[in-house]
Amino acid sequence: MAAASIEFKGSSFTLSVLHLRTSALADIRADLIKKVAQAPDFFYLVPVVVSIEKLVGGIEYQALKTLVEEFNFTFVGFTGDVATEQRKLIRELGFSFVNTTKVSTATKTAIAQESVTEIATSAECRLYTDKVHRGQVRSGQQLYAKDQNLVVIGSVSAGAEVIADGNIHVYGSLRGRAIAGAKGHHKAQIYCQNLEAELVSINGNYWLSESMQQHWGSPAFIHLTDSELTSSKLI
Amino acid sequence: MARIIVVTSGKGGVGKTTSSAAIGIGLALKGHKVVLIDFDIGLRNLDLIMGCERRVVYDFVNVINGEATLNQALIKDKRVSSLSILPASQTRDKDALTKENVGKILEELAKTFDYIICDSPAGIEAGAMMALYYADEAIVTTNPEVSSVRDSDRILGMLASRSRRAELGLEPIKEHLLLTRYSPKRVEEGEMLSVEDVVDILSIPLLGVIPESQAVLKASNSGEPVILDIESDAGKAYQDVIERLLGETVEFRFLVAEKKGIFTRMFGG
Repeated sequence: MAAASIEFKGSSFTLSVLHLRTSALADIRADLIKKVAQAPDFFYLVPVVVSIEKLVGGIEYQALKTLVEEFNFTFVGFTGDVATEQRKLIRELGFSFVNTTKVSTATKTAIAQESVTEIATSAECRLYTDKVHRGQVRSGQQLYAKDQNLVVIGSVSAGAEVIADGNIHVYGSLRGRAIAGAKGHHKAQIYCQNLEAELVSINGNYWLSESMQQHWGSPAFIHLTDSELTSSKLI
Repeated sequence: MARIIVVTSGKGGVGKTTSSAAIGIGLALKGHKVVLIDFDIGLRNLDLIMGCERRVVYDFVNVINGEATLNQALIKDKRVSSLSILPASQTRDKDALTKENVGKILEELAKTFDYIICDSPAGIEAGAMMALYYADEAIVTTNPEVSSVRDSDRILGMLASRSRRAELGLEPIKEHLLLTRYSPKRVEEGEMLSVEDVVDILSIPLLGVIPESQAVLKASNSGEPVILDIESDAGKAYQDVIERLLGETVEFRFLVAEKKGIFTRMFGG
């Protein structure tokens, strides 16, 4: 079968949008003259969409199209968050109506928040490499795994401090302080074979030893559930 | 090659000097040439425990300042001829010691002696750092109580990071745990940490357990190191330490409280 001579595909383009603040054509003309005078070549045959969102009531659509084309713009259609009836009217008059993705300020904020969460999630999903320490971490010593997980093959003594931007694993007793997710990472966890810590902290939430009594002296891991520290049995 | 052994602890009053003296004499009795160095400049004690305080003419600091030769300062023990003592100065402070001049003296001593025992001052400051800097082995003296164990842990961290061996990336200092003033009865009553607890926390090989004993105080005051009191528990325990230090496997003694016999129970003991 021979390929079709044409094909329709969606593509995104950057189009200039002319936002109208008034429906008075004379005012619009005056401002357009000023604007185009600044850079006549730049605006020559530039496709333009006219936004009527800020207008109260309608406008003389055909007259506006003629005005825009007078300044050598290529008129594409109208846009804006307007009532369905108005859109219908515009279409009936023979103009295209272009829908934009940014609809209203409220939606805009929602979208913005969504993208922030997305970024945050991807930071947490980042694959941390491991910093491995063999042997005891003695009292008075401090270990920091910057942008890494920290693995201690040995015990962390009372008075010692282990810090990681990722998770902390202690293959021995955790008797000192352990601070995971130090740069802010609420999914960071602390694992140890014997929980006897002076302090554990994840993403700024901390527990002193009295809060760890449930799994004291046994293999456990500490994690955050809804910003609350929780300890669970490891095996 | 001379073995340089530091006797250290972090905490004071746990038995460093008593142990240094006992180990020094014990090794010398086995026929080794031993020198005991008192690093506690300003708080001279080793000569008292060794019973040679009246024979001190020159000291460690004099040798460092070139005011006396090593041979003038070394005191030969009257009981065991292969043992010498280099006393500390009572009038100076620890700043008199530097890595360079201590290194030179140790190098000089290593030519004549098999064992150089460095009796460290308490604390983690310059004096203690100087005593452990050149060590090949460390005897970490610990009492079975939490603060002593914590301080020993700190010192173990220093041995692993601040010593010459650590700085040059050589084989790490060989660590030994010496538990002193151990009372099995008080451990049973839960007043003291047990050997197992301490070994678990510090995770280093156990060299010896010296029981709490009246003999130690008596020995200190009379200037006769407790290892010479062969009848006492503490003396026997130190002898075991020497065997282990020389590579023998000796079973640990004095770890359980003595059971009272029927007669002592009936008539009081």
